Parts: sequence; C-alpha cells; structure tokens
Amino acid sequence: MLEVRELTTKYITRFKEDIYAVDHVSLKIEEGRSLGIAGESGCGKSTLALSLMGYYFPPLHYTSGDIIIDGTNISGMKADDVRKSILGREIAYIPQAALNALNPTQKIIRFIEDVVKAHDPTVTKDEIYEMARGLFESLGLPAEVLQKYPVELSGGMKQRTVIAISVILRPQVLIADEPSSALDVTSQKMVIKMLRNLMDNGYVKAMIFITHELPLLYNVTDDIMVMYAGQIVEKAPAHEAVFDPLHPYSKGLMGSIIVPEEGLRDVKLAAIPGTPPNLKNPPKGCRFAARCKYVRPECRVQSIQLRELENGRSYRCVIGEDELRELYAREAE
Amino acid sequence: MKGYRNYFLNKLLWFLVTLVAAFILNFILPRLMPGDPVAAIVSRLAQGMSNTSGVQAIYEQYAEQFGTNKPMLEQFVLYMRNVFQGDFGFSFSQYPRTVADVISSSIWWTVGLQFPAIIIGWLIGNTLGALAAYRRGTFDKVLMPISIFVSNLPAFGMAVIMLVIFAVTLRWFPTSGGYGFDLIPNFSWKFIWSVFIHYQLPFWSIVLITIGGQAIGMRSMSIYELNADYVKYSRLLGIKDRKIVGYVFRNAMLPQITGLALSIGTMVGGALVAEIIFSYPGLGSTILTAVLGQDYPLISATTLIITLMVLLANFLLEIAYGFLDPRIKAAQAD
Repeated sequence: MLEVRELTTKYITRFKEDIYAVDHVSLKIEEGRSLGIAGESGCGKSTLALSLMGYYFPPLHYTSGDIIIDGTNISGMKADDVRKSILGREIAYIPQAALNALNPTQKIIRFIEDVVKAHDPTVTKDEIYEMARGLFESLGLPAEVLQKYPVELSGGMKQRTVIAISVILRPQVLIADEPSSALDVTSQKMVIKMLRNLMDNGYVKAMIFITHELPLLYNVTDDIMVMYAGQIVEKAPAHEAVFDPLHPYSKGLMGSIIVPEEGLRDVKLAAIPGTPPNLKNPPKGCRFAARCKYVRPECRVQSIQLRELENGRSYRCVIGEDELRELYAREAE
Repeated sequence: MKGYRNYFLNKLLWFLVTLVAAFILNFILPRLMPGDPVAAIVSRLAQGMSNTSGVQAIYEQYAEQFGTNKPMLEQFVLYMRNVFQGDFGFSFSQYPRTVADVISSSIWWTVGLQFPAIIIGWLIGNTLGALAAYRRGTFDKVLMPISIFVSNLPAFGMAVIMLVIFAVTLRWFPTSGGYGFDLIPNFSWKFIWSVFIHYQLPFWSIVLITIGGQAIGMRSMSIYELNADYVKYSRLLGIKDRKIVGYVFRNAMLPQITGLALSIGTMVGGALVAEIIFSYPGLGSTILTAVLGQDYPLISATTLIITLMVLLANFLLEIAYGFLDPRIKAAQAD
C-alpha cells in the first residue's frame, strides 16, 4: 500500500543551516493496517508526517529516498502533479492544530468546493454539495455544518469537520498528526471513534497516527514506531512496543507514561533525564547515547544500524535483544 | 442575519453619538474664543461715531440679527435648524456669497481628489505589501525601506517634492490650480484635459503617501496569515497556490480596513494641506482663505463638513467590514 524507503528531508533555516529532521526513515504499511508514530516533542514525527505527503514547501526540503504508493514512486514526480493527483486523493492529511486549520472567512462548503475543484475542475457545485452532504451524514455530522463558518463550530465539531474534509476525495492513506491533542476528553473520544469508523468502513485503507500519547496509540493502532532525533529507534506491534520495549529510549518512554492496564498499577513513573540532541550537528554515534543509562564506549564511535529481528520487529541499539531484557529486569528489582 | 443587524445598529448608534459630539464641539469652540464678533463688526461700522446710544443701537441690532443675545441653548437649537436647512450664513471674506455657495463650489474638487486617491493608494499599497510578503527576496528588500521612508513624509512634503521635480524642473505638469486660469469651466475637451493635467500632481502625491503606510501594514499581516495553519492544510489538500494567496489576501486585508477607518481623518487632514500647496480649488484652499480672512462662518462650516465626511467614510467602512468578516456576525450573535 504505502512504502517509504530511506526517506530523508531537511529544514533549511534562515541562516542557511541544514537540519535533518527526518533521517533515513523506512516504513511499510499494508492495506487495512494502522501505524502509530510516537516520540517526544521535537523528535521529527510531525515533520515525518509532512514529508510522507511528497509535497514540500519551504523551509522543508526533500533530500533523498522514495515514497511508493500503490506501486507509484511519487518522489520523482513534479510538484504540481503530486498536488493534483496525490494530495487528498492518495494521501490525505489531518493537521495538528485542526482548530485553526480552516480559513476563518470561508464557509465550509466553499472550502470543500475549492478542494474538489483543485483536483477536478469539471465537477459542478451541486455535485460537490451532494457529495459533501452524503459524506457528512454518513460520518454522523449534521449537513448544516456545510453552510457555516468555522467560528460557528465548537472545537470538537471543527476537528471532525476537518477529518471529513480530509477524506472527501476518498484517499487511500490517511495521516493524522496529533488529531486529538488539543481537545477535551469527550471530543477526543469522538474523534478517535470517527477515525476508527473511517478505517472500518473502508473510507481509507490505511492510516498513520502520530501522537505523543502512547496509551492512545496502543488502543488505536496495530503497530507502533518510536522516533528519536529524526530516526526510527524501534518498530513493533502495538502490544509489544508498550509491554516489551527493546530500545532504551522506548523503554524510558513507556516508563514515563501511565498505561491503565492491570499489573502496572504499582509501577513508578520515571522521567528520561536530559534533552534530545541538537539536530544541526547530531552526535556521531548513537543519538540517544548522552541520555542512555546503558551507554557503552562503542555507542559513540559510529552510527548504529537498525537491527531486524525475525518476528518483524526492529530496533536501533548495539546491545542484543536478550541482554537488554536482562538489563531491564535487573533494573526493575 | 440577526448578528449583522446588531452590528449595524451598534455602529449606527456610535455614528450618531459622534455626530452629535461633532456638532456640539463645532458650535461651542468658536464661541469659547475670546472677543465678541458683533462688537468687532460694530466697532468697524461705528468708526468716528461719538454718539454712544447710536453705537448701542447698532450693537443691539446686530446682536439681534446674529442671535448672540439669546441664551446658549436657544442659539444651539437655532444653529442646528440652520445647519439642517443648509444655511450657514454669509461668508465674511467673500461677501455677499453665502457659506453654502462657497462650499458647494469647492467641496466636489476635494471629494473628487481625495477619495479616489486614498482608495487607489490603499489598493496599490495593499497589493504591494501582500506581494512583498509572498515573494520576499529582493522585491521585499527594496520595497520596504522605500515604503517606510515615504510613509513618514507628510502629504504636503510629498506635494512640495512632486511640485519641484515634475512642475518646476521637468515642466511636465502645471504648478497650481484645478484647471488653466485662462479657461471658463465647461464641458469642452480642452477644459476636461486641463482639469486632468492639473489633477495629476495632487492626486499622485496623496496616492504615494497612502501606499507607503498601507504596504507596511499589509506586509506584516500577510506574513502572519501565510504562516497560519489553514494555509498549510489547504496546500496539503492540493489547493493551488494562487487560490491560497486569495485566502491570505482577503484575511490580511480585514485589519487593513480597520486601519483605513482609523487613519482616514489624518489622511484627509494631510491631503487638505497638499491641496493648499497646489492651490487646488478644494476645501483645503477654502479653509486657508477663510482663516486668513477671519471668516468664522466659513471656518466653522468647512470643519463641520470635513468632520461629517470623515465620520461617514468611517461608518461605511465599518459596515463593509461587518459583511466581509463572518467573525463579527458570530461575536455579535452571542
């Protein structure tokens, strides 16, 4: 469905410095599956979401790698072709700050008209209206929303409207960048339910869900990928990523949150000391070395490769799988 | 529609309140000045007269005629009634012309000069500012210092510069007047061409001044809007850049309308002085001659007319704003 190979993108700052916020990221997502991307703020997860669209505008620039969707490599395509045939049609995006994602001086239906006409100018306004009304009603949103301005909608309603607009062209893959972070718990729940509904009813065929809230990922997605300083440090099925993390950073991340599961009640919350490295000149060896409890001299010598395990999991550390588990067990005592 | 109605009524109420305040100030301020205008007239008439009761009789006759012997409140009612009938009395300096006559012959020159100039300057300024924000680079780096420089010049300063360059040195345009002094106003091509030629320098000096300030404001508003989340979202949904620039322009323009409403008074004031520089036959020159001739009725009437025009322009802008920004409607409906 969607395959990304060694994708690298960078920000060019005003002072002409390069910041590689997404560094050789590879991932694969099959039809009907959802992938969660976790990491602390500034780790590059939102940039990854933007980079996956294959459409770059300053300060973000494409460097190398491939994005293959349904057998088509979109990395080599012209920007305007990507805009016309990929964005919204193949890959759709739900922004982080959906509350401000709509033009305040435009009615919802006018915006939907612009979106549809940007890809196919021949569709009439009546057709678009019928299309939008059908979609909104099947997603449990009142059709009156179409005639309103964004200011007239509540936060939760605005977010759900944005989600509905994102899937108006029936994209294959949906990338949701922290779609629920700015909402209250009730609205969050409705947004999550709506996203699941999109998957279950085939509105979208695959989904990438980005958040810093791990419990949410665990409940929503099939697989979880952990990012640190622009790189993937661990990839695993959701349950294993939460209950059997291998990379010391994932371990720390899981230890620093509350997962309301039995048996975890008495586990003490621990913070990871230190801050992520500056990506202007990342450390030569392992990027997590400076904050790692189990750091060894060889960690700082050269960059660490992702280790692929037989069960499909992978992680980026010099220490072996069993040895890590042993270290964690000793730590727990 | 309820939101718009509330908004409209609210603005209308404030318009009326400021209008009344303007009338009251316009009435009271000249009357707070030291000296008695009737006494001044009488002393001029009564030169050489030694008969005190005669002087007294003349004084009382004029006081009766001008109503200065009545209580303030009654004078005010009288004044309001006259104003609404378009009766501003006689001009002292251009007697026997009435004030209404003097104003009606000059006001259209001012309206025809200033409102197009301010509107065109506003449009050009906003377009340039939006372009600078969008294109950045050299265009921005050249436009901004020029705009900052120009926007800090007063309109009359610009008028003098234009006059020296284009009228005195290059001799492309006439130095003064609204039309050739050897012509009689009529609808011949010769006269219209003369008016057109005389129009250029005052017009462009007001336009240039307006452009500078507007471009600076629009540039920063556009940069702010270009970084808004909806721009990114629209881009990632595949909407064309040209369309997105349209969204940005419209949204960035809204505060500029408020800005125009706030500064229109100052602009008109500056532009009136520019008219004097070019001896343009508008209200600016009328005020100047009125002040020089101590023509109180004319001063009072012209300031009143200008205040009314500015208030009305302000009111219309605010009404337009209500239609352009749906957030106004939402805020008023609460």
